[in-house]
Amino acid sequence: MDFYENKVLRPVLLAIRIVLGAVFVYGGYVKLRAPWPLFGMAIDSYHLVPLRYIEPLARTIPWFEVVVGLLLIFGRFMRISTATVSLTLAIFFAAMLHAFLNHQEIDCGCFGPGDPISKWTLLRDGSMLAGSLFLTWMALRSPRRMA
Amino acid sequence: MKLYAIALVALLPCLAATPDVDKGKALGLPTAPIRMEIFSDFTCPHCRVLHEETLPLLIREFVVPGKLYIIDRAFPLASAGHQYSREAFGYAVAAARIGKYQEVADALYAHQNTWALAGNVWDCVTAVLKNPADQKKVKELSKDPGVLAEIEAEYQEGVQAGVNETPTMVVTAGGKRYPLPRAPNYEILRSLLNGFLRK
Repeated sequence: MDFYENKVLRPVLLAIRIVLGAVFVYGGYVKLRAPWPLFGMAIDSYHLVPLRYIEPLARTIPWFEVVVGLLLIFGRFMRISTATVSLTLAIFFAAMLHAFLNHQEIDCGCFGPGDPISKWTLLRDGSMLAGSLFLTWMALRSPRRMA
Repeated sequence: MKLYAIALVALLPCLAATPDVDKGKALGLPTAPIRMEIFSDFTCPHCRVLHEETLPLLIREFVVPGKLYIIDRAFPLASAGHQYSREAFGYAVAAARIGKYQEVADALYAHQNTWALAGNVWDCVTAVLKNPADQKKVKELSKDPGVLAEIEAEYQEGVQAGVNETPTMVVTAGGKRYPLPRAPNYEILRSLLNGFLRK
């Protein structure tokens, strides 16, 4: 069965792609508008990354999010872009889950300050990860075509 | 007359900006290029760490050279374990009225583990305010409607600014406000402040 010819799945895949891409572009844009140390503080609050890597990460992740988000929205390099988004979201989700399970009362850092990690943020990012994994699986199954 | 009117208009932003600052609870020059409001609670352990470890560094590196103006804001927590917060703020804000805020704040944070559990807040305050006249003034002022209103006004300001945890630092630079994540690393905080100063 070719899922991309399926009249139901095709718009669903398109919607997931656009929504995920827009979320990534928005997340990157919000971080780029603010000085890098603000996002650096959010990364540092997880206590997972050595201090010397905070600045390079805080300066590059927002650009990375924008580029990958645009690739998703415009449907370019789908196998690479969906796999990259899935890997990125898996890392973000694992970090958030680790913080949540360790009762760290910190901000998610996903869209700027004021977004504390909670069941809601885990559900939100978990849903995005699920959508992204589905998209990746579909992209890997069909190397030439994508919704 | 025209010159007078222009001067008056130019002063309006200053007049609008200053009344919300209790100068007794502020550090540095009001004209500093960066302003930092710290919403904290005397019973919060993270606030104590900020007060005892980060604040001295900020004072030495940014406040003393006139680059940063720090304003302490009352954000009394109401949940279990914080039942003496408002009382502590009453004494601290009252102490600010007689120019003794920093001494009282230092003592409240230093002995947080004692009074926050036992409730003997006044004992902690009198340990640092030795003068009986000061003690009497602070005791009276702590029940003053103006002091209580200031605490509530600052709390409400924090709520409106989206403060939902303590300590929350809100930095204002170049006309923009930036709420910071809780308890930031000092090196990163320094990078942020130096970045604002370079602009």
